[in-house]
Amino acid sequence: MSYLLASALLFALGVYGVLTRRTAILVFLSIELMLNAANLSLVGFARAYGLEGQVAALMVIAIAAAEVAVGLGLIVAIFRQRESTAVDDLSELRG
Amino acid sequence: MSPWEALALLLLLFSGVLVVTLKNAIHAALALIGNFLILAGLYVALEARFLGFIQIIVYAGAIVVLFLFVIMLLYAAQGEVGFDPLVRSRPLALLLSVGVALVLLSGLWGLNLAFTKDLQGGLPQALGPLLYGDWLLVLLAVGFLLMAATVVAVALVQPPRPLDALSPEERKEEKEVVR
Repeated sequence: MSYLLASALLFALGVYGVLTRRTAILVFLSIELMLNAANLSLVGFARAYGLEGQVAALMVIAIAAAEVAVGLGLIVAIFRQRESTAVDDLSELRG
Repeated sequence: MSPWEALALLLLLFSGVLVVTLKNAIHAALALIGNFLILAGLYVALEARFLGFIQIIVYAGAIVVLFLFVIMLLYAAQGEVGFDPLVRSRPLALLLSVGVALVLLSGLWGLNLAFTKDLQGGLPQALGPLLYGDWLLVLLAVGFLLMAATVVAVALVQPPRPLDALSPEERKEEKEVVR
């Protein structure tokens, strides 16, 4: 049970990071933290409900890998255009 | 709760705090690696051994290294950049995340779970039949998603025209932008 509580706190830490960080890369790191908190709760619940939780966590890891590839590609592309990865500089979405 | 368990959870939360507060992006990414390694240990302790090793190989080994690579490529180690359009929004963010934590904890509070399922150690022998049985379509969909993500990642960072097709002045400009 303590694992589930820790995963809730870890998720809240990720939310704090997303809200306070100002570079896109660090926002991304906080999102990874939230994904892992969700994974921890999936693994924790798997001990009560069966192995499906672990399979779902495996899928989350694979999807996170895809997300990182696309997200970092976007960040690199934006940096080429704007010379910046600060999310506040990107508040107007013009080419 | 055993002392080891308490220590692992404390370290997990502490490294999480480091990830969201450290000023240098490289240090934050290294703290994230530490967080993932502790998490992998927790997975092994929670009878999810295969997942623990996947966590080390894929997350700590591949994903965070990709992060470090991009941080170093873009000289983006400095965390505090740009202007702050919302002055003193930090306490507000703290309040909001505490609210999220309270909502999640209240959801978990009254739960009365029996952690008695036999997971066979969470080894591949136990996960395989599920992955290729009930979850087969999900597995195929994730595989397709990974392929699409690879294509997108390559297409996104492609220059508008290949570098050797540019005229000399254009090439100089391109180099300046890319540094």
